[in-house]
Amino acid sequence: MVIPPIGAIGGIGSVGSLGPTAGATQAAPGGDFASKISDAIDQLDELNKASDTAAQQAATGDLTDIHDYMIAATEASTATELAVSVRNRALEAFQEIMRMQV
Amino acid sequence: MSMFGMLDTAASGMRTHRVWLNAVSDNIANISTYRPMDEAAYQPRYVDAQSLPGANGQYNGANGGVGVRQILFGDPEGRVIYSPDHPLADENGLVRAPDTDLGEQMTQLMMAQRSYQSNSTVILRAKDMYQQAMQIGRG
Repeated sequence: MVIPPIGAIGGIGSVGSLGPTAGATQAAPGGDFASKISDAIDQLDELNKASDTAAQQAATGDLTDIHDYMIAATEASTATELAVSVRNRALEAFQEIMRMQV
Repeated sequence: MSMFGMLDTAASGMRTHRVWLNAVSDNIANISTYRPMDEAAYQPRYVDAQSLPGANGQYNGANGGVGVRQILFGDPEGRVIYSPDHPLADENGLVRAPDTDLGEQMTQLMMAQRSYQSNSTVILRAKDMYQQAMQIGRG
């Protein structure tokens, strides 16, 4: 399904680690960007695992609720899309800073 | 799961109505299950649904939903009918038929199916909503 984009998400960590060096992002009240991203990825991983379990149940005939699989798959794909979207925005911001004239 | 609370709530509704559909299906399948007088008749199944509390017993929009508390069984006496030709009939010609009304079961079938459909529509709309929110990140 939507698993290939996950590999690319790893790149965010390095973007996030830029946070502490830039003074403006250091004082974020709800934790820094890197930890937020890492939490989000943990959640995404959980959703993907739930979707995989449901897929396995569907294949082996153990699935009692068809909708459970469809919902798990929808949640996983929506969360992945969101994570990729956030990654793209973060990367854009990073590149914008890199293009800055000094 | 907090991010997809709406999906999980609607999923609990679909699950409950799936159980209800199962029960109705069972009742209809057993509409002609006759038992001899010294045995219990087929007991129609009824779903006892219960709303689930949110976190800390409070509704916060991300929890809740519905669940099946228990399956209730109908009257084991059944409906005693006079059918002397039936192989299971006792010396008075009586057998026990399930106390199920097919018309009522069909109505329940429609209700359960429509409720299942409504929950499914909630999921579709919720999905659209999440997609809409993600449009903010594009462009």
